[in-house]
Amino acid sequence: MNFLDEVREPVRLDMTPMIDCVFLMIIFFVCIDFRVLEAKLPAFLPKDVGSRTTVVLPKENLVVRIHPATPGTPVYRDGANPTGLDPTTKRPWRFQLEGHTVRWEVGPRPCPDAISLAAELRRIATDPQSLVPDPATGTTKLLPVVLEGLPGTYYQDLAATTDMVHAAGFREIQFGASGWR
Amino acid sequence: MPSPRPDYGRHLPAAADLDMTPMIDCVFLLMIFFALVIDLSQRNLEDLVLPRAAFRELDDKPPEHRPVLNVLQDGSVIHNQQVVHDPRRDGDDFGRVRALLLTLRSTGLQQGKFRLATDPAGGATSLLDDPILVRADKWTEWRHVTALLQQCSQPDVGFWKIELALAEIDRESAPAGAGGGR
Repeated sequence: MNFLDEVREPVRLDMTPMIDCVFLMIIFFVCIDFRVLEAKLPAFLPKDVGSRTTVVLPKENLVVRIHPATPGTPVYRDGANPTGLDPTTKRPWRFQLEGHTVRWEVGPRPCPDAISLAAELRRIATDPQSLVPDPATGTTKLLPVVLEGLPGTYYQDLAATTDMVHAAGFREIQFGASGWR
Repeated sequence: MPSPRPDYGRHLPAAADLDMTPMIDCVFLLMIFFALVIDLSQRNLEDLVLPRAAFRELDDKPPEHRPVLNVLQDGSVIHNQQVVHDPRRDGDDFGRVRALLLTLRSTGLQQGKFRLATDPAGGATSLLDDPILVRADKWTEWRHVTALLQQCSQPDVGFWKIELALAEIDRESAPAGAGGGR
């Protein structure tokens, strides 16, 4: 071998570091699981009711009751055993409720569907009689809304109703639980 | 007779090649380590499908010591991966949940993680000024959530700032691979 042979030796690219990096990146992205931030619905419970012994004057509010219209059918994923545990989560198998619908009562007025509920909420929100004194600012505000989910309603129903109430312009939303037990 | 060729290479200083591979390996291993450590803080989040809501507040800076209670579809209450309440075992008896909440309250106050709320006049109350997060599956019956809220709001427990977890995207109706709340 002479000097020229050494110079002409083909340059070999060492793939080992690149493969190392690729595998490490695969592990990394598998581990982080592409998490996405959650949101929250602040639902402060009444501070002066039930937790203190001070006398509290009744406050005017708008009660929106949610009734189950059709209960719906639980649908399990293929291969799920409703009486067993999901081997992945070690929790009961999760179901998806299909065909579940609700109806509403805004005060005494029934609302069989979401369209009539939205219309009724808008009507009340634009009614000057719906304004109540606001002690914090000394002005007036829309009366608070109390959502009551009756037996057979689900968290999804309350979340969707909260959205509709908020979209109508109500900002003070509380959760009631009368008539449960 | 020709003289043998001198081997110059043997006497030349070796090229100072900096091998980056170990450093890159270490950097990636550190990244994986921290990713897993961060993931430990998510262990109290059960794999639930949260309902999507337009009216919500981003939970991008959750309080460090905020307790998280998960409510499964069957009404089971999970805290830190431990089943605190099982409706099939406990029925309507929420004694274990109540005991847990009282423990959280007392230890939180002792360790300075929680503080008591003040009333408008500036006086101290027995209510906690720190929130608690309730996560429920979208198809969890509302009565299970309500029962838990009632336990939280008992006068001696005093968690009155309840936060209900929602998702930006409904994972149930979203296409596969889409993000969403957990």
